[in-house]
Amino acid sequence: MEESRDDFGEIPGEFGSCGIFMREEDVLEAMREIPGYLDITPSDFQEVYKHACRHALKRIMFAVKARDIMTREVLAVTPEMPAAHVARAMASRGISGVPVVDEKREVLGVISEKDFFRLMGAWELPNFMAVVARCLTERGCVAFPLKEKKARDIMSSPAITVQEETPAVDIARILKQKKINRLPVLDKNMHLVGIVSRADILKLPFLGG
Amino acid sequence: MGFLEKLKGATKSPPRVGYKEIFWSWLGGALGIGLLGLLASDALALQQRFLLIGSFGASAVLLYGAPKSPLAQPRNLLGGHIFSALVGVCCYKLLGEEPWLASAMAVSGAIVLMHLTRTLHPPGGATALIAVLGGESIHALGFWYCLNPVGLGASIMLLVALVVNNIPSHRRYPEFWI
Repeated sequence: MEESRDDFGEIPGEFGSCGIFMREEDVLEAMREIPGYLDITPSDFQEVYKHACRHALKRIMFAVKARDIMTREVLAVTPEMPAAHVARAMASRGISGVPVVDEKREVLGVISEKDFFRLMGAWELPNFMAVVARCLTERGCVAFPLKEKKARDIMSSPAITVQEETPAVDIARILKQKKINRLPVLDKNMHLVGIVSRADILKLPFLGG
Repeated sequence: MGFLEKLKGATKSPPRVGYKEIFWSWLGGALGIGLLGLLASDALALQQRFLLIGSFGASAVLLYGAPKSPLAQPRNLLGGHIFSALVGVCCYKLLGEEPWLASAMAVSGAIVLMHLTRTLHPPGGATALIAVLGGESIHALGFWYCLNPVGLGASIMLLVALVVNNIPSHRRYPEFWI
């Protein structure tokens, strides 16, 4: 496989490498198994397969909607929830991001690991281990400034969201362009009904699923 | 890919077919051409002696040797021969004074018309050429050449292909009609 599996591009053809890479020997073996003279060369077949697979991928990416792949039981937090509670909730569920919703379940923003990271000064630091290192060597943890904060203070807003009807092709594009990992899914009344992540896209056929 | 790189070739030849396949190809070829020859030599049956023309030998290779090929399908067989014959007769009538030019235009024109009509059938090139170079007897037929020997002969070969290619379980014909 030459292309990376989660290399989402503008063109659906670049949403991932197509299926299994077939070598010339594999095609020749298949041609031997089929009785009758096939008026094509192995490379003809490879060429046709590559294009056909891209079309299939495109068809699937347009046919599959957010509602088909989203997780429905979404952990959401309220804007007034303390940052520590948010962190604990994310940790216990083993998730890396949560939507922040009001009492009508309208999405105000999204909190992800990145938001914590940013507030812990990691923007000046090159990576997670640098945060750990600073935490261990300096007095007081870099996470302490977060202590007084509430969900509404740390969330990224406005939230980037999609509709239940949004096709997978658009979800993949948004995830790539915005460099984010999950998108809250809204119904027609703009209420949160699910969440769709990078992993959900990768579960689609041809993309590793 | 550079020019010299292209000359090296990029892939392998398709594998050789099995002996059963070869047998049925042989049988189709023998029956198809045999039947045409028989009918052609029986002047009473069809009044013309031109039922068998060289380009049918090439059609036999496709029809009985590679029946799955798009080039071997009924549409291509009949369309390819008849359209090519039309082009060939026209070229002879217009450019017959210069046989080299008439030949070149007949074959190249046949390729164009076969492409346009999605009836590409390589033996059509020979059918067009025969219309120009086939001699007095062919020239005398005029546009009838398109129907007999060309259309009629191709139809007989088609009938043989429909029978022979559908007898063994591993073969079928055609892949498509139109």
